[in-house]
Amino acid sequence: MRLQGEHAFEAPRQVVWEAVMDPEVIARVMPGCKALERVGENAYQGAMKIKVGPVQGEFKGAVTLSDLDPPSSYRLKLSGKGAPGFVEGEGTLTLSDAEDGGTKLIYDLEAKVGGRIAAVGQRLLDSSARVIARQSLEGLEAQIKARHDGGETAAAAAAPSEADFAGRFAKGLAAELIPPERRPLAGGVAVVVLLALAYLIFRSCG
Amino acid sequence: MGVIGSSIKRREDPALITGRGRYTDDLSLPGMLHAVIVRSPHAHARIVSIDAAAARAAEGVVAVYDGRDLVPGGEIKGVPTGWLLPDLKVPVHPLLAVDRVRYVGDGVAVVVAESRYAARDAADLVEVEYEPLPAVVDPAKATADGAPRIHDEAPENVAFDWQLGDREKTDAAFAAATKVARLKLRNNRLIPHAVEPRACLADYDPTSGELTLRMTSQNPHVHRLLMHLASMGLPEHKMRIIAPEVGGGFGSKIHHYPDEAITAWCAINLKRPVKWTATRSEANLTDAHGRDHATTAELALDDGGRILGLRVETYAAMGAYLSTFAASVPTYLYGTLLSGQYDIPAIHVHVYGVFTNTTPVDAYRGAGRPEATFVVERLMDAAAEVCGLDPAAIRRRNFVPPEKFPYPTQVALEYDSGNYEPALDKALELAGYDALREAQKAARDDPKKPLIGIGLSSYIEACGLAPSQVVGALGAQAGLWESAKIRVQPSGSVTVYTGSSAHGQGHHTTFAQIVADKLGIDPEQVEVVHGDTEKVQFGMGTYGSRSAAVGGSAIATATDKVVAKARKIAAHLLEAAEEDVVFDPAADGGPAFHVRGVPDKRQGWGDVVLQAYLAHNYPDDLEPGLEETSFYNPSNFVYPFGTHVAVVEIDRETGEVRLARYVAVDDCGNQINPMIVAGQVHGGIAQGVGQALWEQAVYDDSGQLVTGTLLDYAVPRAHNLPSFETDHTVTPCPHNPLGVKGIGEAGTIASPAAVVNAVVDALKPYGVNHLDMPITPEKVWRAIHLKGAL
Repeated sequence: MRLQGEHAFEAPRQVVWEAVMDPEVIARVMPGCKALERVGENAYQGAMKIKVGPVQGEFKGAVTLSDLDPPSSYRLKLSGKGAPGFVEGEGTLTLSDAEDGGTKLIYDLEAKVGGRIAAVGQRLLDSSARVIARQSLEGLEAQIKARHDGGETAAAAAAPSEADFAGRFAKGLAAELIPPERRPLAGGVAVVVLLALAYLIFRSCG
Repeated sequence: MGVIGSSIKRREDPALITGRGRYTDDLSLPGMLHAVIVRSPHAHARIVSIDAAAARAAEGVVAVYDGRDLVPGGEIKGVPTGWLLPDLKVPVHPLLAVDRVRYVGDGVAVVVAESRYAARDAADLVEVEYEPLPAVVDPAKATADGAPRIHDEAPENVAFDWQLGDREKTDAAFAAATKVARLKLRNNRLIPHAVEPRACLADYDPTSGELTLRMTSQNPHVHRLLMHLASMGLPEHKMRIIAPEVGGGFGSKIHHYPDEAITAWCAINLKRPVKWTATRSEANLTDAHGRDHATTAELALDDGGRILGLRVETYAAMGAYLSTFAASVPTYLYGTLLSGQYDIPAIHVHVYGVFTNTTPVDAYRGAGRPEATFVVERLMDAAAEVCGLDPAAIRRRNFVPPEKFPYPTQVALEYDSGNYEPALDKALELAGYDALREAQKAARDDPKKPLIGIGLSSYIEACGLAPSQVVGALGAQAGLWESAKIRVQPSGSVTVYTGSSAHGQGHHTTFAQIVADKLGIDPEQVEVVHGDTEKVQFGMGTYGSRSAAVGGSAIATATDKVVAKARKIAAHLLEAAEEDVVFDPAADGGPAFHVRGVPDKRQGWGDVVLQAYLAHNYPDDLEPGLEETSFYNPSNFVYPFGTHVAVVEIDRETGEVRLARYVAVDDCGNQINPMIVAGQVHGGIAQGVGQALWEQAVYDDSGQLVTGTLLDYAVPRAHNLPSFETDHTVTPCPHNPLGVKGIGEAGTIASPAAVVNAVVDALKPYGVNHLDMPITPEKVWRAIHLKGAL
């Protein structure tokens, strides 16, 4: 599975860099992330609760950063395992100056997923991963904004709730199912609501 | 019409369709524990460590064992393989993996707990550290240089390298040919999907040392023997295996898997009953899969479309270990069927059985014969195209003619009987073949209409497994006869004990019909008992469409023995010479013995039976009682055949294939119960159509099964299928007492080729000469809209 994407931040590169290097910030913005602690130089350990379709469970994992080039890029390697299976991934995170004075973040990860989560949730996996990524980045943006705008405390931007995740997941699905040119606003909203409901029911059954 | 030949409703159905059938998982015993098996999420990995401390400490957990616990003496008890080939590499298949896992689903530990839920939760707490190794899933790539080695015993990942036929003669035929049809075929990997997943309940009595194992089995005696010999080591007479109601098998419940032996081992060790039931996704990961061939096949022909030779090379996936009958499926059940219904003067087949990091592959409904039929019948269509002949015409031209029977093929079989053209004619007539071709032409010219395709499949199979001497010579580690015991109770009702173990086939009905017909009694007076090693004499079980042909023949033979003994008693009662006494099951006033030519001098069946037990007025030289056993060993396979016609409609814009009609004309010889025959044909066709259009077990490159649930693995549903149009011809089997042949697999054998031929036929205007199964709308759409960009 390949995870690629980018995100724009309205903050200078150094600020974004500090945020993405701060395990506390990351732990706060990743949905389901229960803890992330530094266990060595550029090495972190954490736990994350994941639900993909009917599969759920806790992953314990480790993240190692390498080839650090502050404030521009690093490589990361992650491995996690738990009852639902395992995840192993490797990739890069790159920051560059955007024209508007902000920062552009590009991530590119190649991940291997195995076990129950691969067998049962395969079709939902891509969308799920993308939603987690997007949600994390939006959370990160809020954190950075809060920091950048002065307040050192960023409690306002708490980790998203489960229902929030479900809604966003459904939105992600809808976005994939319906090509942009055929996405009428009202209809789109209805689809999102329906899918969100379906997803919540699905999850409660799992 | 007698009782044989009438469509009596299945006597087993009222209980089953009202939910009163008792399956293994419905059964419970006092003090019963539950086992859950921890399975590898990696396709290939070294086990670095297993830490079960947290699982052991969890509430309700009684024990956790890993592969090493199961081999305290150091000798790894493993799962055996039951069919050997020359130079077959048989790697050890431990009950639980030791040091290394070889497919996703390979068992690494078992958790036993007071409840199913506690066991399942605790299974998640078993910490296994793996060091992943590279995996290979494609049989065509597993033998390449640099492919990961799965077993040290098989350095090239080749389990066997097997050939049949005459290579030189075949090469000469190709050298002489003016036309050659050539295809590369993938026979897609399938998951059996019996409605009831595998389950077992083990109960050990430490006082007597007896183990009772209730399990989902197609062959309880074979399971007992294999477990005695290989995995359990208990004396055979101290093991009782019972198959309660079994909810389908399709082959997947023939084999000896580790799970039942692990559960039994836990019950013995803990001295408490233990139950294990697979979840559906666990079944998908661990039930032996079917098919998975990569084949190159060529047919040599002359200008007139006569076949000169056939050359086939196949890479057959074995999966990660050799399952019980894995080695026989792509060899003696496949290579031997490559002559099809045709008079082919030269054939050579070369099969590589290849290990891959996937679930083991073994017999699945049809077992080898669907793969063979697919090769032959796809080639016949390709040959028709090359020779410019109609598909029906080229088949007709090459059929083995009726006067050539018994017909020895170039691939080791002797077809006992057959008459192929009438079945083809009947199928074409039922389908309205000429009119269909007209409609096809008209539809092609009208872009608004769906494309129409017509596909034929003239199949043959060898079933009724099997003559014991023959299969013994070919490597089987068992004889394939069948047993029957007929016990006539003093009041005249009959109990039949059959070694053929039913799991949906209708034994309670058809077997009762055989006895009732022969004895002239009501089928309701006949009870059929099977599936219990304690009640029934050794028997070989149900698979390979053998129940009627072999099990039924054993029952017929044992019934004849009963009549022969009763005749002696009747002769004594009638004060006549035995040879002058005849039995008339259809006599007025009920079945009776009478003196030849003097119907009034008679003794009713009931009186004779009663006298067998009273023995008050009884011949001196005869033992009392009326109970006979027969072990029937067939002298040949049986060879059902037929022609199926599939008609498909293809939406040009979406590529969707609709199966519009399906015509099946089968010849299974005499039919004991035509309704049950039709039911078998229907189910078989549905499964074969499933393979052609929807089903496929897909592994990603790292060996993850990505179609692990029914969300992603599409089994056929009723609304996907038309009403089947079935008919038959009758060419009785000449060598068994009932003149019957098997029909349980025919539908699955014939239909994939019929459907694929129909789709390719529809797509001819687009230059398509083959599409691999399952033929999804995407493949068809690409074939139509992106010519050549497949």
